[in-house]
Amino acid sequence: MSKRKSKENSGTNGECISQVQKILRERFCRRYATGKLFGIEHQHRHLLELLKRTAVHGESNSALIIGPRGSGKTALLNHVLKELTEMKQVRGNLLEVHLNGLLQTNDKVALKEITRQLHLENVVGDKVFGSFAENLAFLLEALRKGDRTSSCPVLFILDEFDLFVHHKNQTLLYNLFDISQSAQTPVTVIGLTCRQNRFTFLRRYKPVVLYYRRRAIFIHVAGLYYTVVRSLERPVGISVSWSAVGPADFPDESFAQKWNNNVQCLSEDKTVQDVLQNLFHRTKDLRSLHLLLMLAVSNVTVHHPLITASDLHEASKHYRMDSKANIVHGLSVLEICLIIAMKHLNDVYEGEPFNFQMVYNEFQKFIQRKAHCMYNFEKPVVMKAFEHLLQLELVKPIERPSVRTQREYLLMRLLLDNNQIMDALQAYPNCPTDVKQWAASSLSWL
Amino acid sequence: TPRNATPEIPRRNHEAQKPASILEEARLRLHVSAIPESLPCREEEFQDIYNFVESKLIDGTGGCMYISGVPGTGKTATVHEVIRCLQEAAENDDLPSFQFVEINGMKLTDPHQAYVQILELLTGQKVTATHAAALLAKLFNTPGPKRKTTVLIVDELDLLWTRKQNVMYNLFDWPTQKHSKLIILAIANTMDLPERIMMNRVASRLGLTRMSFQPYTYKQLQQIISSRLNSMKAFEEDAIQLVSRKVAALSGDARRCLDICRRATEICEFASQKRTPEIVRMAHITEAIDEMFSSPYINAIRNASLHEQIFLKAILAEFRRAGVEEATVQQVYHQHIALCRIEGMQSPTVSEIMAICSRLGACRLLLVESSNKYLHMRVRLNISQDDVMYAFKDE
Repeated sequence: MSKRKSKENSGTNGECISQVQKILRERFCRRYATGKLFGIEHQHRHLLELLKRTAVHGESNSALIIGPRGSGKTALLNHVLKELTEMKQVRGNLLEVHLNGLLQTNDKVALKEITRQLHLENVVGDKVFGSFAENLAFLLEALRKGDRTSSCPVLFILDEFDLFVHHKNQTLLYNLFDISQSAQTPVTVIGLTCRQNRFTFLRRYKPVVLYYRRRAIFIHVAGLYYTVVRSLERPVGISVSWSAVGPADFPDESFAQKWNNNVQCLSEDKTVQDVLQNLFHRTKDLRSLHLLLMLAVSNVTVHHPLITASDLHEASKHYRMDSKANIVHGLSVLEICLIIAMKHLNDVYEGEPFNFQMVYNEFQKFIQRKAHCMYNFEKPVVMKAFEHLLQLELVKPIERPSVRTQREYLLMRLLLDNNQIMDALQAYPNCPTDVKQWAASSLSWL
Repeated sequence: TPRNATPEIPRRNHEAQKPASILEEARLRLHVSAIPESLPCREEEFQDIYNFVESKLIDGTGGCMYISGVPGTGKTATVHEVIRCLQEAAENDDLPSFQFVEINGMKLTDPHQAYVQILELLTGQKVTATHAAALLAKLFNTPGPKRKTTVLIVDELDLLWTRKQNVMYNLFDWPTQKHSKLIILAIANTMDLPERIMMNRVASRLGLTRMSFQPYTYKQLQQIISSRLNSMKAFEEDAIQLVSRKVAALSGDARRCLDICRRATEICEFASQKRTPEIVRMAHITEAIDEMFSSPYINAIRNASLHEQIFLKAILAEFRRAGVEEATVQQVYHQHIALCRIEGMQSPTVSEIMAICSRLGACRLLLVESSNKYLHMRVRLNISQDDVMYAFKDE
C-alpha cells in the first residue's frame, strides 16, 4: 500500500519515508546495531579493561556477564569488541571464538567448532578431521605449546553459558578454565547468561566451580522512568549524535529536522508518557520498547508522514492484548455457554476438576430453568463444541487421555480466570442477555 | 587427517607489553599460572611424596600412592615439583633415570582413552583404546631386562570411573606385577574415594599409602601471598591479612585468595586514575571480596520492573495466606490484582502476568513449571522469603 502511494506522490517525501523506515527498522530489529550504551558505563569500562589486558599483556582471565533477557549483554560485548578491534595495539593480536549453547549442544560439536574457528592444522576447508578424543587432544596440545608473551591470545565467548554447564562432565568448561589458570596460551573466557545463580549451577561438578574465576559483571537495566523517555527520543530520532546515520546520509535535511522535532514534541506528550510509563512498569528491557516502537513506526506512510501519539497508543493496545481473552471473543454462543458452565462448576466446587458430563448437566440446568428452547442442542453437538474448546487449550485434561477412560468422563481443568471470562463477555459481540445474566449469577439459582 | 600435523596457535603481531607499574607487576605475579619454583607451606607433603617415589626408584619396584584434598590446596603443583626435583637428581646420576607420564581424567573424553594417551606418551604409537589396553598389559606384564621405571600421574582420578571399573583396576593392577616397575600417583578431591566408589579388589590394589592435603590456614595463605609478591610494596600488610583470614574461613583455597588479590589491584587501578603510584588498601580488598561473595539476587530484585516487584510481593502474600511455600499462578494473579488496586494502578492482564512470571523464572529468581500449564503452573521462590523482604525494605 505504502509503496503504491509513494509512487503516486513521486517526490522527495516518499523517498524520505522509505529511508526513515529503513533506518529505524534496522535499528530496532538488528540487535547488533551499536549505538550508545545507556546506564552500563561502569560495566563497559570493566569489560574493556579486562579484554584489553588480555590482548595487550597476554593475561588469562574469565568473566561472566549476567543480566536478564533483553538487557543488552550481547550489545555490550559487541560494543567492546568493536572498540577493541579499532585499537592499534590490539589489531591482529586477538583470536575470537564464538560459541552458543543453543548450537553447540555437546562438547563434541563445540570442539569441532573451536578447531574450525581457530583454523588449526587438522582443518581442511571447512571440515574438521579426527575423532572427538583426537580433536580434544589436538586442541589441548596446540594451546599447551603457546606461552604468555609470544602466542596470540584467544578469546572464547560462550553465549547461553548455562547450557554449557549441562554437558557431560563439563569437560569443555574444565579445560577452558584450566588453560586460563595455567601458563599456556593466554585464554580469556567470557560467558553470557541470564541466570542469576552464578555459583549453584556450577556446583554440580566440583573442580569446575573452583577453576571458575568468580568475577561477574552484572547488567541491570537503568533505573528511572526518565531514562526510558530519553532513550526513546534517540531510537526514533535520526540525530547525528546518536548513530552514523545522520542528516548527511539523509536525502532531505529539512525532513530529518522535522522528524526529530516531532519526536521531541512526542516525548513531552502526556499520552506518550503514559504509554511509556505503563510499558516501563511491566518490563524494563529495551527490546520490548523496540517492539512497541516498531509497531508504531510501521504506521508511517506518505499520507501520514509523522508519528503521532495515537499511533503509539494504538501500538501499546496491540501490545497489551490478552491472548486467551481474544480467543474467547471468537467462540460461538454454545461454547461461551459451556465456558460459563465450567466457571460455575469452578465456583461451586472450588477449583476441583470436572468432566464433560458435569458440564453438560450444568448446561442442561440452565436451559431448563431459563426455559429457553433456543440453545437446546443435542448432546453430540455439545460434545463437539467441548472438543473444540479442548483443541484451543481453553480446557486441559489433568492426565493423558488413555484408551480406557471415555471422553465424557475425562477429568479436565479450565485454563481461564473468572476475570478473563467476565471481561471477554463484556466485549463479546451480540451476546444474548440471558447468557450474560447467567454468567453473572453463579450461586443464586442453584 | 594430516597424520603428523603439529598443532599450533598463531603468533602475535606485536610483542606482549611488559608490565609498566608496580600494580601490573604484582598482578602478573599473583596470577594463578605463575607457580613458584618451590611451594611455600607444603614442605612436609613434598618430603613425603619425594621419599615415597625415591625409595621405589632405588628399589626398582612399583607402587601406588593416593593423594586427596579439596581443590586449590596445591596437590598438582606439589606433585609436579617432586617430579622436577627427581628429574634433576636423575640427571646428576644420584638416582636411576625414569620415564614420566601424566594423564588427567578431565582431559579425556572417555575413561578408556586413558590407555591411548599413556601408550602414546610412552611409545608414540596411536592405536584404538582396546588395542592400547592389550599393548600396555603386554608391556607391563612381561619382563624386560632394561626397562626404566615409569612414574605415572593420574589427575582427577574419579573421572576414570566406569561401571565395570576396568580402567582403574588395570591402572592399579600393573604396579603390583613383578616386572612392571610402575609408580602411580593418583590425585582426587575426596578422601574416601577408594571406599566410596571402588570395588574391593580395586581398592585393595590401591593400597594404604595415602596422603591428604589440608586446606590452608590464614597464616599459610598470608605467607603464600607475600612470597609471591617477594617484598614488592604493592599491598598493605593488613590488606593481605584480611584476604587470607576471609578465604581461610570459607574454603582455604589458594586460587580464590590470589584471584581476590588480583581483583583488588584492578580496583585500586580504577580508583587512582592519575598516574600516581598507589598501593592496595583495605577498602579495595573489601570491595573485591564483596564483589565476589555478595548475592546477586538482591540486586536483581531491586532492579526488576515495578510489576515484577509487585508479583514477588504477591507471591509473598500468597505464601503467607496459604502457609505453603508453593502457589499457582492463578492464586498469585489474584493477589497481584488486589495489590494493584491498593496502589491504585492499572492491573495487568493474564498474558502479561505470564510474561512477568517467565521472565522471573528465566533469571532463576523463581522456580516455575513448564508454561503449558498456564494458570495452573506452580511457582516457588528460589531464594528465602527474608531475602526478598530485605530487598524491598531498603527502598
